[in-house]
Amino acid sequence: MSMLEIQNVTHTYSSGTGRPVLKDVSLEAGRGDVVAIVGESGCGKTTLGRMIAGLYSPTGGSISFDGQDISALRGRARAAWRRKVQMIHQDPYGSLNPGLTIGATLSPGMLKYGLATRANVQERMLALLKAVGLDATTDFLQRYPHQLSGGQRQRAAIARSIALEPELIVADEVTSMLDVSMRVAILDLLLTFKKDRGITFVFISHDFGVVRYFAQGGRIAVMFFGYIVEEGPTEEVITAPKHPYTHMLLEAIPIPDPAMARERAQAEGDGRLTGDPADSGCVFANRCPLARARCRAERPALVDQGGGHSTACHFSDEVPPLLHVELANGEAA
Amino acid sequence: MTMPLTVNAPVDSNAAPFLAVEHLTVAFGDTATAVKAVDDVSLTISRGEILALVGESGCGKSTLGYSLLGIVPPPGKATEGSIRFKGRDVVRLSKHEFDTMRGRDISMVFQGAMNAFNPVLTIGAQVEHILDAHPEVYPQRAEGRAYFNHLLHLVQLQPDRIWRSFESQLSGGMKQRVAIAVALLLKPELVILDEPTTALDVLNQRLVIDVLKDLHAELGTTVLFVTHDLAVVAELATRVAVMYAGKLVETGTVDEIFTRGGRRHPYVAALIDAIPSVLKSGLTVRPIGGSVPSLADPPPGCRFAPRCRLAEPECHVTEPPLLGDRHGHRVACHVINRSLEGLSQ
Repeated sequence: MSMLEIQNVTHTYSSGTGRPVLKDVSLEAGRGDVVAIVGESGCGKTTLGRMIAGLYSPTGGSISFDGQDISALRGRARAAWRRKVQMIHQDPYGSLNPGLTIGATLSPGMLKYGLATRANVQERMLALLKAVGLDATTDFLQRYPHQLSGGQRQRAAIARSIALEPELIVADEVTSMLDVSMRVAILDLLLTFKKDRGITFVFISHDFGVVRYFAQGGRIAVMFFGYIVEEGPTEEVITAPKHPYTHMLLEAIPIPDPAMARERAQAEGDGRLTGDPADSGCVFANRCPLARARCRAERPALVDQGGGHSTACHFSDEVPPLLHVELANGEAA
Repeated sequence: MTMPLTVNAPVDSNAAPFLAVEHLTVAFGDTATAVKAVDDVSLTISRGEILALVGESGCGKSTLGYSLLGIVPPPGKATEGSIRFKGRDVVRLSKHEFDTMRGRDISMVFQGAMNAFNPVLTIGAQVEHILDAHPEVYPQRAEGRAYFNHLLHLVQLQPDRIWRSFESQLSGGMKQRVAIAVALLLKPELVILDEPTTALDVLNQRLVIDVLKDLHAELGTTVLFVTHDLAVVAELATRVAVMYAGKLVETGTVDEIFTRGGRRHPYVAALIDAIPSVLKSGLTVRPIGGSVPSLADPPPGCRFAPRCRLAEPECHVTEPPLLGDRHGHRVACHVINRSLEGLSQ
């Protein structure tokens, strides 16, 4: 039994189109694992992350933590689970209360859960600041979020999440609003906590570059409009995708190499980058370059293609190799 | 390194560049305590090129973009230098002269342009306002609308649907492309795009890059785009200018900037190494230590020196000049430039 088990989760928001934002999603994560969830805006990845953190309840299916369905938890058991699962949000400008100092942001949770006492809470907070690479001074605890830079704010948000000594952190696009030179430092900081404290991460991002870095040795689930269409080991999914959608995402990524970018521009794919999901059959059929009659008629199930690498595609054998991988291999040869 | 270099070779054989920024300083606040967001920057833009202005938050790249349009937010103002465009110094234009230039000669797509539309008017109504304000470009509304439809077609959108839509009915990626079409409506000679791909997901980034390339190929408009994303630079730009803490540290063609092992500013090399990319396994990504210095109190000498792997004692004392080779590839670094002869200011 894995620490986190998501089983056949379906979710429909009461407002909106009535189309489910999550459809029959199953995913698991063991202790100390990294599972990355990747997909375009609107694919349901943030909704799934928020459900894992308990902010929404699914309309169908279940999410279990340590073998217990989280929606059934009450009282003390619910409070204990709440502490163990924390979330870091995308926007460090919006996720910290502007009216609270950093000290007032960090201390209440630690006191509530008995992780610090009135006598040692300041000392514990200074240790936290040090752990996340901020100035470990009492002066810093007096500062308000508007007095911090974007990178400092995200570090403060990370400090808040680790203050409760969680076992699982849902990290939702944590670097997308940060400067390039800050990104790797923040990812490295989170990786330190994974290594030293064995924290499990559900890492949500649309940026495969960041995912490749953070989810080294972990797994990736690729979502398209509510469905997981591919799931497998990080390096395999990124270098040899087996679903045409993953292939399209990876081919679309801007790459910091002008010569390779020019070669790629010559060989543009024939799928459609945007377009609504299909209502019947394969959800990706409207955009897919491989789509044919069967795809319109029959929804493909997520099937293990070997080695724990699953795809939901009738024709995954036909997904071509990635051009930039081929070019890089050609260079190496 | 034995790159052939000549003394004082002309960077551009044409007499006057399309746009020339010369020793521009843009300061915020009183002279005594002024923060110089742009500090003695000189840069030219050639007609028809796509120039990327690159840097991290607070390096002055957006401020430089704003000064081309005379819209630096107060108390910021150009205190020194000039911007030569079509025989005039943009810095010294009157308000009226700016008003006739903006949108016509130079237009801009702002950062977060997806939030730039009026939510209670259709896109069509907003475009009509622009057309009505510029009868000198389109004596008949219909001509303007026809050209707008053509632009929408180029940015891969359906003209009729967009014309009737309110902004809330469009996705972020669609709004960004509509904003680009609006910026081109009055047929400007230069369009400035501030972070055109930021806040978009990967597929919409790709669409915007492809659309901008198509527009450039079709219309030949000169483009200046401001970004922190080096991958987008590699895909879209023909030439690149990199800023760090208010200073221009390197300018060159996109290949000069990205070629590994070439003559590059250590900041640029470090920035490229710091990008987590699908091309790299995690092992080859190296973060840059430290952070960008405050512009209120920049370090003496080279502003990157406190974070630089190559820094030597001289770097902490003397500011390095921006020196160019005969191709116009300019780098401001004592260490990188030392081994070369024939570099010129």
